[in-house]
Formats: sequence, C-alpha cells, structure tokens
Amino acid sequence: MAPETELSNLHRADGSATYTHHGYSIIGAVNGPIEVPRRDELPEEATIEVNVRPAAGVGSPKDRQLETLVHNTLRSIILTRSIPRTLVQITLQIRSLPEEAASTGVNPSIAILPHLLHTSLLALLSASIPLSTILTSVLVAIPAAHTQPSTPLLSPTANDLVRAKSIKSVHVFAFSGDKKLLLNESDGVFSYEEWEEACEMAEEACCREKGGVGLAEGMDVDGQSRNLEEWLREVVKEKVAYEQRWKTAT
Amino acid sequence: MPREADISVNERAFIQQALHENIRLDGRAFDAFRPLDLIFGDEYGVADVKLGKTRVIARISVDVTVPAPERKFDGVFQIVTEFSPMASPAFEIGRPTDAEVILSRILEKAIRRSNALDTESLCIIAGLKCFALRADVHIIDHDGGLIDASCIAVMAALQHFRRPDVLVEGEKARILSVREREPIPLSILHQPLCVSFSYFEEGEVFLVDANLAEEQVRQGEIIVTMNRHGEVCQVAKYGGATMDPLALLNCTNVALQKVKDMSKFIQRKLEEDAKKRDAGGLMAELSAENAR
Repeated sequence: MAPETELSNLHRADGSATYTHHGYSIIGAVNGPIEVPRRDELPEEATIEVNVRPAAGVGSPKDRQLETLVHNTLRSIILTRSIPRTLVQITLQIRSLPEEAASTGVNPSIAILPHLLHTSLLALLSASIPLSTILTSVLVAIPAAHTQPSTPLLSPTANDLVRAKSIKSVHVFAFSGDKKLLLNESDGVFSYEEWEEACEMAEEACCREKGGVGLAEGMDVDGQSRNLEEWLREVVKEKVAYEQRWKTAT
Repeated sequence: MPREADISVNERAFIQQALHENIRLDGRAFDAFRPLDLIFGDEYGVADVKLGKTRVIARISVDVTVPAPERKFDGVFQIVTEFSPMASPAFEIGRPTDAEVILSRILEKAIRRSNALDTESLCIIAGLKCFALRADVHIIDHDGGLIDASCIAVMAALQHFRRPDVLVEGEKARILSVREREPIPLSILHQPLCVSFSYFEEGEVFLVDANLAEEQVRQGEIIVTMNRHGEVCQVAKYGGATMDPLALLNCTNVALQKVKDMSKFIQRKLEEDAKKRDAGGLMAELSAENAR
C-alpha cells in the first residue's frame, strides 16, 4: 500500500508534509533558506539542521541518532553549495506510531527511519529547496531461518513483524534518483549473501525500472507494482497540478 | 536563530486605524473566536485542535512511578510545552522564549493548580506506586491564540484519554492490558478553559482570540480561565498598560459565554468520537468504570 501524503499543509513553515504509512504518522516542516546563527555558519555551503521530536516525552539519544542519520543523508542530496551561509531547518514531529511498535522486537529507530526520510524529502520538495536528486527508502526484515517464510519481508507492517515472531536482522536502504545506494543501516546478525539479497529487493522496490525481461509480476491488481520512485513522482505531480489549477482552468 | 519578524509600522498603523473604525482585519466581530475544529486521534488521549490557522496537538501518555514522599496519595501529572521550529523559525529547541514560559505557566495555573484532574485517583498503592500522567503539547502551526488553543487541546485530550486498569493484591499491583480489561477514563473534576483578551487604545477596545498580527500590535492581554459553571480559576494580565477594573468584570462575563460554547463543542465532539468507537454497541458491557 502506498503511503498517504499531504503537502504544504502548514501555513507558517516554508514547506511542510504530513505522511502516514503503516500506522506511522509524521509531520515534517522545512524552513529555509533562512539566516544562520554565527556559530553554525559555513562559508561555502548551507547548514542543515534536523530536529526529530518524539510523540510523547522529551528527545532521547535515540532521536539524536536518527537526526544524525537523516542529516547526513540529506546533506548529500541538498545542493548546499548553491545556497551558502544559510540555514535549512528541518523539523520532523512524530505524531503517532503503530500500536504494536513496542512489541515487534526490532530496533524502533530503524523501523521509523524510511518514514522520516520520506517525510523530510517531501517537505524539502514542498519548500523548493534546491536538490540534486530525490531519494526513496525502504525497510527489509529477514526472519530467522527456523520460521516458515524465510524470504525477506519487504516494507513489513508492525503487525507483520509481530507475526513473524523472530526477526534475525533488519535493514534500511535509501536510493537516490540515479539508483545509487545513499544509506544503509542494518541491525542484527546476517551474512553477506543475505545482505545482498535484501539490497536487491530494496532496490527493486525503490527504483528498479519495470518492463525489463523476466519481471513477470509487473501486472499486479492494486498499486503494489508501482515502485516508490513512481509513487513520489505521482505525489509531486498531484501537487503541481493543484498549484497550476488557475492556469489549466482558463 | 532568526528573530521573529516584527510587524511593520504601516501594518501596525493599519490595524490600529481599522480597530478605531470597529473593524478587524479578518472581518470578525470583536468578541468572536476563529473557527474551531477538534479531531481525536485513533489512540486514546490525542487531540488535534485547529483554531483558525493555529494548530496544536496534545497527547496524553501514562507511566507508573513512585509518588513524591510528601504526597503519598497523589499521582503525578505534568504538562510539557516545548516549542519547535515547526511553528516558527524563531523558536529554538532548548531555549524557551517568553511566549513558551507564559504558556506553560498559564496551563499550569489553569489546569493543574485548579485541580481539573483528580490526582488522587491516579494513586495505585499509597507511597509506593502511582500513575504519572504526562500531557505533551505540540505547537504545529502558530498564528496567535496559542494559550486558548493549547488549553482546549489539553482538556479535550484529558477527557478523551483512558488509562489502563490495575489489579491490586496486597503489595503487588498488576497493570491490565487493553485486551484484559477495557481502559477507564480519568476522573475530571471540572473543565477549565482559557479565553484571552487583547486590549488596545488604553483599554477602550477588547479583542477575543487575537491572531498573530493583532498580538504584535496590542498593548496588553488578559487571560481569564473559567469553567462552564462560571467559576473563575485564574486571571493573568500581561503587558504594561493599565486597564479599568470594571472592564475586567465585563471580560469575565464575555469569557463565561465563550467557555460555555466551547465546552459544549468539546462535549459534542467527544460524543461523536465515542459513538464511532462503540461500533458494536459493546462499550457499556466492557466498561470497568465504577458508578459514582
């Protein structure tokens, strides 16, 4: 199932996005390029600030780690050198988590990472921050060998993870628009072969082009066959069509 | 961090001139609130309040802790308001602005110190275990009227929240999960709500629910907290200008009317939400709540 999104829904922020997928709901807001405090100013590139705010309670080291991961990934796709000595401020407010999130047994900060990346990208697009490429990201979970379906689970819901009982390892992959691996975050025990299989699978879901030879399952009933890049393009296309409605109406 | 952009001299003069001619910028009456919207989340205790362009989300969460030694029979209840750069780039995390300090102080006075929530009902075993209730207020969009919106959000969320039931056997207490026992609502003693008045022209003009532009032009503000029975919980005045004591009495009368309307609105939304959750009509049988 494709994630639900709403772009530019906040009035105050320069760009914003609300993203809901598999029970994860996140509000993202981007302010930028704005004035940067003297201590953070970089002479030749823009400063990027990421704030991840949990739904309940104050931020913990886990949130700081997520901030670092998102920051480093976004720094490689924002054209920071074209807006030097400015600040791009990204705030990600987690609104709700799936009910079973606590009992899945996988690292919760890994499970939420793809959603945070998608939200921040959509908010950046909505704020018209110069980007060199887009990114798509997906979670792959490898169940332990003794359980029945030993094939990796692609973008599993929290419920899927609970039902799979023991998960050996989880991986998050993020790919850029030109199909290059941007980020990999793995947790658990896995062999190189398993990692490669997961990576293949993630690439397929994120940005592999359809219509090639040997891809028979391309004609699925629902939107499942669409890869994430196509979904992203669709979201942005809808937004642009909405903003250009004054022009198309005449 | 950039400073909040000050309103320009022209805009300021324009708003003042318009108020002089009894017109508000958005065409509202002087004593009218902006359109209010309240949406409850899928989970218990999440309220999303929209007041015009201002948007606030309150979330209640619960935990078990040891009560304070001097208050053995009371649970813990705290309200956390932390502004994020989402509402305005002028807000910085970890460095509270004046608005943030005032907001948390008013909410503290209005809800916690007025005993809106019966903290004794949060006690599990005296001196050993109690529930710690926490209300997180997230400011999503900022267009003035944060105090009114946050107060509505916290009160609505508290009334919507259900805490898990506990089973006490001697010294041992067991928290029953949602599957074992239907969670029970909090015991709310009364519902205080805030109405803020901004005054202009040396206390000649009073505006209810000023938006951000009007807030930047005003001479001072008065925040009246009342419940729908007409009991004033607190009155706070900020800003240097003086005001007539009789005008304050008038403010409380206006506030009572507004609070009654808002309470009715929250009640209606709560009932709608309860009806939606009570799909199979089993709620009455599942309920573990004792009749008072």
